[in-house]
Amino acid sequence: MPSPLEALQRRFVSAVAEGDGALAAAVRGGGRLSPAEAVAVYVRGYPARLTEALGETFQVCWRVLGDENFFAACRDYIAGHPSRSHNLSDYGSDFPACLGARPDSVQAPFLEDLARFEWAFKELFHKAPHDGLAAARLAAAAGPASRLRLGSASVLLALNHRVYGIWRRDRADDTPLRPRDWEGAERLLLYKAGSNPVFVRELPVPEHAALSALEKGLPLGEALAAADGLDEAGARTLFAFLAESGLIAAVAP
Amino acid sequence: MRDADGRGLVGVGLRSAHFPRLLGCPRTPVRWFEALSENYMDSEGRPLEVLLKIREDYPVALHGVSLSVGGVEGPRPGYLARLKRLAERAEPFLITDHLCFTGAHASNLHDLLPLPYTEEAVRVVAANVGRAQDALGRTIALENVSSYLTYPESEMAEWEFLTAVARRAGCKILLDVNNIYVSAKNHDFSAEIYIDAVPAKLVAQIHLGGYSDMGTFLFDTHSRAPTQPVWDLYRRAIRRLSGAPVLIEWDEDVPPWETLEAQAVKAAALREEALAQPA
Repeated sequence: MPSPLEALQRRFVSAVAEGDGALAAAVRGGGRLSPAEAVAVYVRGYPARLTEALGETFQVCWRVLGDENFFAACRDYIAGHPSRSHNLSDYGSDFPACLGARPDSVQAPFLEDLARFEWAFKELFHKAPHDGLAAARLAAAAGPASRLRLGSASVLLALNHRVYGIWRRDRADDTPLRPRDWEGAERLLLYKAGSNPVFVRELPVPEHAALSALEKGLPLGEALAAADGLDEAGARTLFAFLAESGLIAAVAP
Repeated sequence: MRDADGRGLVGVGLRSAHFPRLLGCPRTPVRWFEALSENYMDSEGRPLEVLLKIREDYPVALHGVSLSVGGVEGPRPGYLARLKRLAERAEPFLITDHLCFTGAHASNLHDLLPLPYTEEAVRVVAANVGRAQDALGRTIALENVSSYLTYPESEMAEWEFLTAVARRAGCKILLDVNNIYVSAKNHDFSAEIYIDAVPAKLVAQIHLGGYSDMGTFLFDTHSRAPTQPVWDLYRRAIRRLSGAPVLIEWDEDVPPWETLEAQAVKAAALREEALAQPA
């Protein structure tokens, strides 16, 4: 048997998150509000806050969809996804999949990938920059048998559509997007280079394969061999980038 | 926080819109900043970097919105450990949150939901404050919230509830003058009686903010400057609570720095004026 306070709090949560009307019978409205109107103040605030949180994380998806479609997507998502975190900015981890399943995705099939990119960017934004190995140390320590550990402030993405260009577009650019803007797969590396700004690097397929192999713990030699199409010059370019960016946090023999 | 000209007690909320300006180390009469705990306790990135930089030059208070100190389930698992870690890094002079509940663990409504003013609620809050203070190793302060409904089962007035909680829990009070005004108008009680009834020695901080008049009720939006009735109440409060730091809180439609700063200057000037008047 719940205590009176526990019962009241359960009713409140049901009223706000599920639209249960029972709470109105247990309250007095403030101002000139009826009990139901007073409850409605709290009921309205809930989706507004979660929508604001989604809008903050998925700003470009919002721009692409426009207010009406974005808010409709938020409504549907919020109805099936209560927030379990103390932090509003944690809300929306499944929003990319939700966007991918919506009819909007027929016209804009890149939406799920764009949302995945925005979520990854937000997550990385809040991560501490890792200490990358200095170029000289990396060069001295790395050999074919060594395992290069990517720093924690980095994310590899393999996307089915090209979304980075869409994300980078000037806000004022209202030219309609065309299939050529998003068609084709895209591989991206998001990372911090020793300080807080987040950098994005578009990766050729072989570079992505090599970095993915390193991420899985393969030795450098095997990682490079796993990267189909990565010739010697490409490997040199990749290694120069690793040395310069501070992406590698440790080398194990 | 107190300086020679007596203006040292007024601070403002730290908002990302003002980061670039503040990192330029401007000359300002603002003497301290309040940071929203949840914006920094889960971030190791730019926001925390800025907070710690600001902290090098100014005192900082941490103000939370998700402790849910009135929730029957208590604080969410892990919340207090994260808050403690942030406090160890930011070394705030005060940690505060709200006298309310915010939903349930399975469904956080991210709102400051009013409690009934009952003995059971006092007991629940006191137990949760005890857990929080034990975990943090320090005394916290709880803020009175604005509300748009009340419960028939309440057994005492809001200010009696606030005081009972603080006494039972051994915590302090963050007295939000704007919230008192909003709730007084919404629930037809005397804001002056409220202000006069709260024991001065329990008040660790004062908040000032702006509300919106929705026609049928007052809504605590923190989207504008304090209104004249709130300034008038502040004048009344500050004469009894002259040692408490004062904060201008502005969360929505955040204005340019100069506008916010001007409100802090006004709060400091009114404080001096009120204190200069004979009792």
